Amino acid sequence: MPHPTEGVLRRLLDEPAGVTDSDRQHVTGCPQCLGRLATTREDAALVDAALATKAGEDVDLSAAWRRLSKVAPATGPGRAAAPPPADRLRAAARRPVVAALAVTLVLTGAGVAAANDWLQIFRTEQIAPVSFSTADLIALPDLSAYGEVAVTGDGDVHEVADAAAAAAETGLDVPEVTSLPRGVSGEPAYQVGGEVSATFTFSADRAARAATEAGKTLPPPPPGLDASQVRLVAGPGVAQIWASSTGVPALVVGRAVPPSAFSSGVAFETVRDYLLSLPGMTDDVAAQLRTFTADGSTLPLPVPAGQVTTSSAQVDGVPATVLATRDRTMAAVVWVDDGVVTAVAGALDDDEVLSIARDLR
Amino acid sequence: MDLIRHGGTATAAVLAAPGAVAGATEGRTERMGRVAVSGSVRGAVRADLEEIFRRDYQRVVGVAARVLGSRDQAEDVAQEVFLSFGRSSVPTGEARGWLSVAAAHTALNLLRSGRRRASREETAAAADDAAISDVAEVVVTLEERNRVRTALARLPRKHAVALVLRHSGLSYADVAAALDLSPGSVGTTVRRAESALRKELNRHASSH
Repeated sequence: MPHPTEGVLRRLLDEPAGVTDSDRQHVTGCPQCLGRLATTREDAALVDAALATKAGEDVDLSAAWRRLSKVAPATGPGRAAAPPPADRLRAAARRPVVAALAVTLVLTGAGVAAANDWLQIFRTEQIAPVSFSTADLIALPDLSAYGEVAVTGDGDVHEVADAAAAAAETGLDVPEVTSLPRGVSGEPAYQVGGEVSATFTFSADRAARAATEAGKTLPPPPPGLDASQVRLVAGPGVAQIWASSTGVPALVVGRAVPPSAFSSGVAFETVRDYLLSLPGMTDDVAAQLRTFTADGSTLPLPVPAGQVTTSSAQVDGVPATVLATRDRTMAAVVWVDDGVVTAVAGALDDDEVLSIARDLR
Repeated sequence: MDLIRHGGTATAAVLAAPGAVAGATEGRTERMGRVAVSGSVRGAVRADLEEIFRRDYQRVVGVAARVLGSRDQAEDVAQEVFLSFGRSSVPTGEARGWLSVAAAHTALNLLRSGRRRASREETAAAADDAAISDVAEVVVTLEERNRVRTALARLPRKHAVALVLRHSGLSYADVAAALDLSPGSVGTTVRRAESALRKELNRHASSH
């Protein structure tokens, strides 16, 4: 009978049961095939050793999942499960980044007098970066541990056909990019989202319980804080996204109504001082946030510490913040004009994003 | 994320997460020619993502690490692969094969594009792997490892993927299903790839 093919010999090494009896018998009695089998085995062992790795053995699964969750924001209940939007938003509101924003928004409301009704205490007029390390973000208190977080509004982000549809849904002027940078071409995808608001009702009981469970000591809440409410409102927003073939978003141009905060009658200095004393708020972050409180209108933009450089620039006479990753692979510029925040970001350098920003119509 | 997404606009998300945009990953996925990824760019991801992530992440990192020899880069690849998967409509039953093939392709793309990091990390990774070499009773130097990876990048793509999947522990039937091969031809493909890599090592060894 003919000698088995090299493929059969190779499989004989890994899965003898996948080779026919007659082939196996032939090899056993054929010195030539036994020689080929030995060579095959040597090559397989050499390549296996060359490719060997322990990288998959002790991965930090939880950290990896957190990393993915940050990128794929709606992870969790998916389309198939279709929970009510409010549930999805509530789930999102528990995420560290949202909690960080909520905390920082409340904090930056400081300096504004106490209010007796829903009173605007914070309205984004400018944006400044706050450096958080990943550890800081995770350590920040989840607001739902300290009270009730209720989210209202249809924040579902979805795609629409074109700029006109995006403008009609959001009521925003959709910025028009007049000239695309080198390497970016084609038509963008348009995503829009509606207004969302979140109301946080502080609960002294719940906060005490959370602290006990975490084995930490919660500072005693000041009088009047229990049951007081803070409401955060943000949106609508629109984003135009140009995809590149390399797996990195080539260009994103976004515009949105930025967050404002309202109070139901609590002194913001009280809330601020209390939140700053919570376990998990690091001294560095607290110090950065305190510098924002002068006019109560600066939106803290959390950026990964050490990975992003920031600088100031002007876009159409308005102060803008330029962010660039240290490896020079991405840059962004963001500014607030007349109650609307606009951002240009992409796999570009800072000059390129600034140039696009200044040419927007 | 919603408050930030609406309020802070896409900037925070984009900076915090390069590759966050679904559309950006579609080009590569389509080139893989296996499964169409949903054209939608909306944020929602499939409901079984977390379950499959927890089940298969380690395997996906292992596949990418065999190609790249670097844990950090392999984890980056795994993140990208699961992000694509999360927005795909790949049937759950085919997830493992799809993820493995996607990891191999993405890692090979990275290898081929030469965007690899400096050798310090590789040296550290190689030190980690020393124990494995002993187990295999084959001594492979760091230089040889690098040469094998260079040769891997030059192999016909299907041969390279079949080789990596097989050495990552996929059965012949799994490799065959993932690559649209007959189980019989998997052995041939893997053998040819191994032979080519061996020649590469021998060629270099005899030239010294």
